[in-house]
Amino acid sequence: MSATMQELDATRRSALDVSGWGRSFRFFQPRNLAFWVYLYLVVNGVYVFSTGIAGGFGAFGQAIGLTAGVLVLYGAVLWWFTVHIDRYSSVSGKLIIAAFVWGGFAATWMMAANANTPILTLWSKWFGQAWVADWGPGATAPYTEELAKAAGLLLLFALAPRLIRTAYDGFIIGAFLGLGFQLIENILYSQNAAGSQFGANQIGATIQVLVVRTLTGLSGHILYSAIFGAGLIYFLGTPGEPRRRGRGLGLMLLSMVLHGIWDAQGGLFGSLAQWSFIVLPVIFIIIGVYVFKMTVPREREYMRKVMAPEVARGVITSEELDALSGDRKARKAYRKSGSSRRHAKNVMEASYDLADEIAEAGGTDTDRVEFARAEVIRLRES
Amino acid sequence: MRPEGWVPVEQRWLGLDRRTIPPALVVIGLWLVMVIVPASLNQAVEYDDEVVAGDVMQLGARVTFVPTPGWGIEEGLRASDATNSGEYPPDAKVVDGDVSLRVITAPFDGDAEALLDQIKETTDALNDEAGFHVVGDPVPFQTAAGEVGVIARYEATGSKGLLAALVFDGLGVEIIATGPQDTPTETVEDIARMIASVSFQGGGSA
Repeated sequence: MSATMQELDATRRSALDVSGWGRSFRFFQPRNLAFWVYLYLVVNGVYVFSTGIAGGFGAFGQAIGLTAGVLVLYGAVLWWFTVHIDRYSSVSGKLIIAAFVWGGFAATWMMAANANTPILTLWSKWFGQAWVADWGPGATAPYTEELAKAAGLLLLFALAPRLIRTAYDGFIIGAFLGLGFQLIENILYSQNAAGSQFGANQIGATIQVLVVRTLTGLSGHILYSAIFGAGLIYFLGTPGEPRRRGRGLGLMLLSMVLHGIWDAQGGLFGSLAQWSFIVLPVIFIIIGVYVFKMTVPREREYMRKVMAPEVARGVITSEELDALSGDRKARKAYRKSGSSRRHAKNVMEASYDLADEIAEAGGTDTDRVEFARAEVIRLRES
Repeated sequence: MRPEGWVPVEQRWLGLDRRTIPPALVVIGLWLVMVIVPASLNQAVEYDDEVVAGDVMQLGARVTFVPTPGWGIEEGLRASDATNSGEYPPDAKVVDGDVSLRVITAPFDGDAEALLDQIKETTDALNDEAGFHVVGDPVPFQTAAGEVGVIARYEATGSKGLLAALVFDGLGVEIIATGPQDTPTETVEDIARMIASVSFQGGGSA
């Protein structure tokens, strides 16, 4: 027996409520202790970073300038990619920016940087310099840096408990925490590279470091904290994502293990490290895609529930609903099924717009929702 | 209907939404642990890696120097230290109380005088007035292996030192020795011996 329009709309409203889709993020929350902790650590992190860069600018200004330029482009590409994969109940833009800023300034300069140096020194005192050369970074950064980034997700979760609802949200926010961390850390690496040849050949030394770090960036911090973020949400559980402690813990540990493997390549692979440098990013991305696929079905389920009433209204077809809430194969099959791929792609994009408008309207029929419906119909009939 | 962000009175503690306190405290706790614990432990644990007769420090693939027995190794590897990667770090540092000797190697295209000029330019740009700067005119010196370099005074407020520069076949070597104003003569002689012991495998000095 098919569901009535009322039942479909009720299911839609419930899906929107549980998933947090369409809710706006309010950053200024003076009664929220997480707000004050976030603000304190980010502001101080920006200060520490700025004084560090200012101190080196006189000697390494060329390198810092080159790095900033490259990183803006690189950051824009990765930002676009991460927003592009967030195609279902998209995470609020303000939340994404807050994640990026935490990763870039608080996680780095107020947390990880304070712990990494003394821990590495301790390892050398306890196990010797040779041990540190092979294992030091791998025995340090995975937990200091991943926990520092994850602290940001915990604070954002406390700031937006009705927005961060699925492991997929954790994956996306984690990715932006990692992007911020990666980009700002790259500036430090470039400054160090600029000084690595006594301050001569700044550009050459910086380019070498930038090339390596940009090529391996997607499979690095972005990936580690995306996986950790998904794991943290599974571990905590939300109304939109049932608690799965084992899976959550497993993913958080996986993130740290991948990070550790990357940082300890010399110790693990010896002279083969020149090859692991190329092979590991490929393996890590495959693992990242696997985790992404693990988290995405719930998002697709919400998309289906939100858009099912539009099939009943005749705005979209059931094939379009399958494509909207399906995987890449389903979208590709839909685009191939019509007379024109471009036409099909436009209808899909307009349908995603409609889904976002419905979410922002909380399931009500606002003027924008009606306009978005009309756009889908217009594009289909064109 | 409750406005967005309104915190009911019974959920407040000292004006704060009590539900937000646990996660915030977790982050504060993590931050304090990261800032305090490693640094405190590090300060409490002394280095215990003393140079013995016969030790040779290996920097990268091409540079060695002989540290003075009794000094402590804070950075760098002995030639006899084996790592899985088979590589040696390009820098090393040995210490004797407040006195330290640091050797840094990196590619450099020029001669020893050009290297010293480059180092002077970089340290002048990085360090404030109280920090270390190369002062006075450099003078040539020769290592035990016959390599020729230049050496100059390297001073900061309350500290003194030497900075030596050598270049071997496209590889620059910077040696920085620093200590308090009243560094004993014997220690200065140790430093001189260590600088003179710097040697390069393959090629010649520029």
